[in-house]
Amino acid sequence: MVAITDATTTFFRELGGRGREPLLEKATGTVRFDLVDGARTERWLVTLQKGDASVSRKNVNADCVVRTTKAVFDAMVKGEVNAMAANLRGELVLEGDAELLVLIQRVLPSPPKQREGGVKEQR
Amino acid sequence: MSDDLVQILDGNTFVVSDRRGDIEASLTDPTGLFSFDTRFLSKWVLTVDGQRLNPLSVDDLAYYETRFFLVPGTGTVYVDAKLSVIRRRVVGGGFREYLTILNHDEKPVELAVRVDAASDFADLFEVKDALAKKGRYSSRIEDGRLVLSYDRQTFSRSTVISATAPAQVDKNGLTFKVRLEPHGAWATELEVDAAAAAVEQTRRSRTTRNARRENMERNLERWVAQAPRVECDWEPLKVTYRRSLVDLAALRYSPPITPGKSLPAAGLPWFMTMFGRDSIFTSLQALPFTPELAATTLRVLGLWQGTRVDDFRDEDPGRILHEARYGEMTAFEERPHSPYYGCADATALYVVLLDEYERWTGDKRLVRELEQEARAALRWIDEYADLMGNGYVSYRRRNEETGLENQCWKDSWDSISFRDGRLPGFPRATCELQGYAYDAKVRGARLAREIWHDPTLADELEQQAAGLRRRFNRDFWVEDGEYFALALDENGNQVDALSSNIGHLLWSGIVETSKAKAVAQHLLGRRLFSGWGVRTLAEGEGRFNPVGYHVGTVWPFDNSFIAWGLRRYGFKQEAAQIAAGILNAAAFFDGRLPEAFGGYEQKTTKYPVQYPTACSPQAWSTGAPLLLLRTMLGLEPIGDHLIVDPELPSGIGALAVLDIPGRWGRVDAFARGDIDLGGRRGLQPQLGEPAQAAARRRRG
Repeated sequence: MVAITDATTTFFRELGGRGREPLLEKATGTVRFDLVDGARTERWLVTLQKGDASVSRKNVNADCVVRTTKAVFDAMVKGEVNAMAANLRGELVLEGDAELLVLIQRVLPSPPKQREGGVKEQR
Repeated sequence: MSDDLVQILDGNTFVVSDRRGDIEASLTDPTGLFSFDTRFLSKWVLTVDGQRLNPLSVDDLAYYETRFFLVPGTGTVYVDAKLSVIRRRVVGGGFREYLTILNHDEKPVELAVRVDAASDFADLFEVKDALAKKGRYSSRIEDGRLVLSYDRQTFSRSTVISATAPAQVDKNGLTFKVRLEPHGAWATELEVDAAAAAVEQTRRSRTTRNARRENMERNLERWVAQAPRVECDWEPLKVTYRRSLVDLAALRYSPPITPGKSLPAAGLPWFMTMFGRDSIFTSLQALPFTPELAATTLRVLGLWQGTRVDDFRDEDPGRILHEARYGEMTAFEERPHSPYYGCADATALYVVLLDEYERWTGDKRLVRELEQEARAALRWIDEYADLMGNGYVSYRRRNEETGLENQCWKDSWDSISFRDGRLPGFPRATCELQGYAYDAKVRGARLAREIWHDPTLADELEQQAAGLRRRFNRDFWVEDGEYFALALDENGNQVDALSSNIGHLLWSGIVETSKAKAVAQHLLGRRLFSGWGVRTLAEGEGRFNPVGYHVGTVWPFDNSFIAWGLRRYGFKQEAAQIAAGILNAAAFFDGRLPEAFGGYEQKTTKYPVQYPTACSPQAWSTGAPLLLLRTMLGLEPIGDHLIVDPELPSGIGALAVLDIPGRWGRVDAFARGDIDLGGRRGLQPQLGEPAQAAARRRRG
């Protein structure tokens, strides 16, 4: 295991350790994040119980599965990518109870630098 | 929207075609098959032996289903009716078309039946603004189905077309070689599937589709059956009520994120989506009839309540969204609707709806469930909405490029003006926003005291409300006109035009009693009241234009809240007069009120002139007759009882609303109108002002 604390790892550690989070009180269920990074897939499982979030790396069935790339998710937890727009672009795919992701979105940070909009065309 | 366009819809999927059932859209035409704010078919043309067909009749069987009776012909008066063609189209996830051809001849016939299909996959914003596409188009044939696709990076949308009868499929459509025996029939079922892969994960199979359609039928019947019944001796009101119920059913919209929960979308064709303001106003109007719409609206808008500071989306913590969109331009953040939060009224109105909902239904559970959201909404008013630091809610967009300039319900560019027509700078504090904020604080205080058991918050909100009311009545009152200014500008000066907004102030209760009479007189006065309703802007103001979107037209929704406001201050007859005007107008539109109609004097035009580009059905216009039923009957929940205190316009002898749902179970409300001694009712199909008011006028 390489001990690199990237944005995603920091986000999940913080989420699991923050205790009762009022913004997540309505969420009960499990969300699995499948983050594709080249040939490998990094998995995070978040279990939500009325405001308490616990985080593990288990690969089990979940009420909601979020599939995206590691790069997109890193940007999301830094506030640089909007989850709904990413979903509409097809960069982030949702299966199951999408409401859980909307709730988790509540704890994502504001965009770091306020901008005018327009996603850069990637080549 | 032109009369010969036929629209059928299911949620945010709808079809607009001509009377033959054909679609031939240019980029700027609002015709086609639309779903998730994307056009999935821009061409859909049926020919028989290379000939276009002529329509004999078009039947709207249900809001999601239309039948076209067609015959081949040369376009001359003479129609060769040896063949009949019937297209029955049902919308849901795309659409299905049941195509039947009947041979009326004694000889067999061989036909080439052809459907040409194409899609430009335009975003609704592109259709509105005529913008060019950035991705690639392709079409292919796959397992006998025609697949039309559009791709831009990871963004992918496709239309899949298939038929049950054997067909020759090419990249531009399907051809059927048909042989019909004498008096024979041929039929096929065409399926057009609108697929937005990432948005809708599960592709529905044909069988679940059929089940879904049966659900829609049962669902509509149940919807109508569960709503209260309206009995009235003035027939047009029953027609209007029925139309409103059915249209409201059609406008129910289930966002992809919260399937199974539907809230009223704003209107067809452009506004089949979540709208904070429109969904809240419509839910308020419909509360005595279909309270479940309010519950879903509160839940869904609560789920999407802002939590971040995001300038592009004009989002703040606690703010209720303005509008969500699902098309390509939203996906690539060329538009901020994912979702967009730029409106200054929905957040206060959210609290107003939550309180009003509980007063009707007694559903304290939902008020507890949404406590956090309601508190955040109340905090937004103080912490984020007071842009000028003067204690008033005001707005100025932070997204200068694609955000909304006017973040109140009158959201067109020239809606807020001084008497002389000048436009104020930003921020702008329009008057009705202060009314909503006041009402939210008063109602929030009740919820805090009675349901959240937080008397400290309740006291605080009540004190703030009282202070706001006092300052408002001082700072917004236009002395020389005896009405409230439309807004305060960026320097705190009165934007002094006379407008319909003052009616919303009565609804919110922010108006001091001593000033209410002058306000009511303006609303029913010659400058604002056209005979059909209250104009958005008074005649004589610099920007007044009887067909200007927010500067002179009459909006049925606006009028329904004004009527509610007049009732609140005891102006029963004035409220009935507004109800009469709007319900008379509804009768001219077969019960379906448009978004707006011209602000011409009733005596001049004799009929209401529909605003040129207004969309229809529109949710809050659909809800207007429902709220007017409430104001005519004077329905008001007090504790566990429903108070009935009617005042009917002349022309209605008897009105009953049966089985009104609420915390009392179900109750009936009855009203009798004044006996019309002149016996003119049969000769006078239009409603008039209440008899007492007329008598008073004769005396005066």
